[in-house]
Amino acid sequence: MSNSTGPMDVWRKIVWREYITRVRRRAFLVATFLGPILMVGLVAGLVLLTMSTEEPAKVWVVDHVGLVTTELEENQWVPICPKCFPERSMLSYQFGDEPKTEAELQAEGFTCMVEFDDGIVQSEKAQLLHLDPPSGRIKRWIQRDLSEAIERAKVLERPDLNYADYLSLKTNVSLVSMDLATGESKGAGQGGLGFAFSVFMLTFVMVYGMHVMRGVIEEKSNRIVEVVLSTVRPGLLLAGKIAGIGLVGLSQIAGWSVLSWVLFGALGMAVEQSAWMESWTASQGLTSGTADFATVVAAQEDLAFLLDINWGVMLGCGVMYFLLGYVLYAAFFATIGAMVEQESDAQYLMLPVMLPLLFSYVLASMSIDAPESTVAIVSSFVPFSSPVSMMVRLPMGVPWWHVALSMVLLAATAVLLVLLAARVYRVAILMYGKRPSAREIMRWLLKPDAGAL
Amino acid sequence: MTTPVLHTQGVCKSFGDHVALAPLDVDVQQGRIVGLLGPNGAGKTTLLRMVTGITKPDDGTLRMWGQPHHRSLLSRMGYLPEERGLYKSMRVAEQVLYFAGLRGMDRQEAERELKGWFERLEVEGWWKREVSDLSKGMAQKIQFIATVLHRPELLILDEPFSGLDPINAALVRNEMLRMVQEQGTTLVLSTHDMGSVETLCDEVILLHKGQKVLAGATDAVREDARGGRIQLKVRGNLMAFVAELGARAELLTKDTRGTGVADAVHSLELALPADWPMPAFLKWAVDHVEVLEAQPRRLSMEEVFVQSVESAQT
Repeated sequence: MSNSTGPMDVWRKIVWREYITRVRRRAFLVATFLGPILMVGLVAGLVLLTMSTEEPAKVWVVDHVGLVTTELEENQWVPICPKCFPERSMLSYQFGDEPKTEAELQAEGFTCMVEFDDGIVQSEKAQLLHLDPPSGRIKRWIQRDLSEAIERAKVLERPDLNYADYLSLKTNVSLVSMDLATGESKGAGQGGLGFAFSVFMLTFVMVYGMHVMRGVIEEKSNRIVEVVLSTVRPGLLLAGKIAGIGLVGLSQIAGWSVLSWVLFGALGMAVEQSAWMESWTASQGLTSGTADFATVVAAQEDLAFLLDINWGVMLGCGVMYFLLGYVLYAAFFATIGAMVEQESDAQYLMLPVMLPLLFSYVLASMSIDAPESTVAIVSSFVPFSSPVSMMVRLPMGVPWWHVALSMVLLAATAVLLVLLAARVYRVAILMYGKRPSAREIMRWLLKPDAGAL
Repeated sequence: MTTPVLHTQGVCKSFGDHVALAPLDVDVQQGRIVGLLGPNGAGKTTLLRMVTGITKPDDGTLRMWGQPHHRSLLSRMGYLPEERGLYKSMRVAEQVLYFAGLRGMDRQEAERELKGWFERLEVEGWWKREVSDLSKGMAQKIQFIATVLHRPELLILDEPFSGLDPINAALVRNEMLRMVQEQGTTLVLSTHDMGSVETLCDEVILLHKGQKVLAGATDAVREDARGGRIQLKVRGNLMAFVAELGARAELLTKDTRGTGVADAVHSLELALPADWPMPAFLKWAVDHVEVLEAQPRRLSMEEVFVQSVESAQT
């Protein structure tokens, strides 16, 4: 009297079971709520405890080729567009075509030097050498001023400009900071954030991959798999399990994002209405009521970069890389789960799976300082390391086709590995009392068993 | 003859070099209770896994309800494997309803059926409890319900009574019989518990090392295995009786009570040849001793099992 049911319907039921039994666990709920609270607390602590105040910056702008400056008299350079470099109480500029030494800068009271040639038109990158690092807000002013000046220079070269052309000339210069005395690069904010994202990615892929393994072991060790397989094809069960657990990961990411957003909003409102804000505004020489939470963050040398990050892209790419990377590694973890009867037996089989993940972590940590190095670029294409490696590069700006190609490679590899894993899974999951040998696994991979009906 | 529920012809399965099931011919008719017997490693689980679609035979024909075996037929079956478990992170009813859903059963209908089963198997009050709270026997009953909730036409049970106390075993046994009688369910029972085979099974199939060594109606199988054995209680001169018997029949056991050649009572077990049936033998025997009692020696299923396996080994 039973009705038969379509494979998609069955798959959805498996996905739902895998999902609901995990998201209602206390551990999941605690982790989902605690994560953002810790993260926002950390930022709040940095803002409120460091209470960093700004020192005025005096910048020596070195325009080697006269891109945005012109020589008025001998050694007297002025900007072509004076309005682009407005006088501010916290920021003043002087211009030249030759760099100054550290001693000269110090003697003449400069706090930093920006140096560029006509390569900046293409790269939109200039070097900021500093004696005292400027605050995030000042750095953003310099970037904005310079971008505007370069934009003007581009526009002036094109008298027949229409609006579309104008838009294509929009420029967004980023400054790569470096300490003049120590030579240390200070673009580390983005790199650090990227690294944090990659560690997060590594952890998520590993944690949720292991969820898949544990789920497979649970079904095998308590023999429930035999009951399920008398109704469901093994491939469908595996696909449902991977999808359901992946959804749990996505829910956690979504929960963290929404909660962080809400908490940051609440933190901002709390800060803006606090007495602390008034004293801070006064200390910055700003009129009361003109500064908001973003101004406070921008003034923090270590946090200002947060405002420059394209969070939509980071989150979008983060979700995609998590999903694809998770599916790829879940294929391995599921295979291991099917081969053993209890979790303790899985330990040494996990090593070969962990190695590429840990290796990509090492590569990622190397990429923080050198996001354009060959190692960083290659590892962000190799499917086994790309989810972790690409996350380091993303905040520092990556050509879109790098991201697209790396995702396509990752997706193709993930699908292939899941198909291969299913061949091993469907036989190994029913084997008890003996672990399949490497020879047997090779045989199932190359010459698949008859499998299920 | 009606179309059998299960029909196999030459189905076989090997794993690498190991032959799990040699070509096997089996027929199971609708509404019958069939015992699938055999020592460990005989190929029972392999056969059951093929019937339940978990694995495919390497070769041979497997037909269900007259059709070539197909996945769409799986929802007409219920399978309770020998070693079984439940998802620990689910609630009791939720889990049973999940399995019913996988088999395509409508949710509301499943809930309605489940309430009935919870009452009949006396597990009311466990609907929303965690599976991890269940005792072993209670878990067995829930697994049984999960197997039968969708009203399978063919029910395949591997050691269904293991872990159940006698009262609960009787409860489950009665439900099985009710399904057979009221719904015409066909039941394949794989078990080592020969007592339940004797009381429940209409037919038996005995496998050994992947081959069928015995099959047929339970009574007929036991009668065949008897091999002309009878039990006899007699009074009189045993020595003279045995001498008269000579080589015509084999004396298997004897037990004497009382003293004196004429008064002693002897309990004997004899094996009669096929051409000397029991009535003819008794007619002959009364001329030589006083026959107090006589009956065919019924073999227990356990004896049939051991005897068949031993003879298959030799």
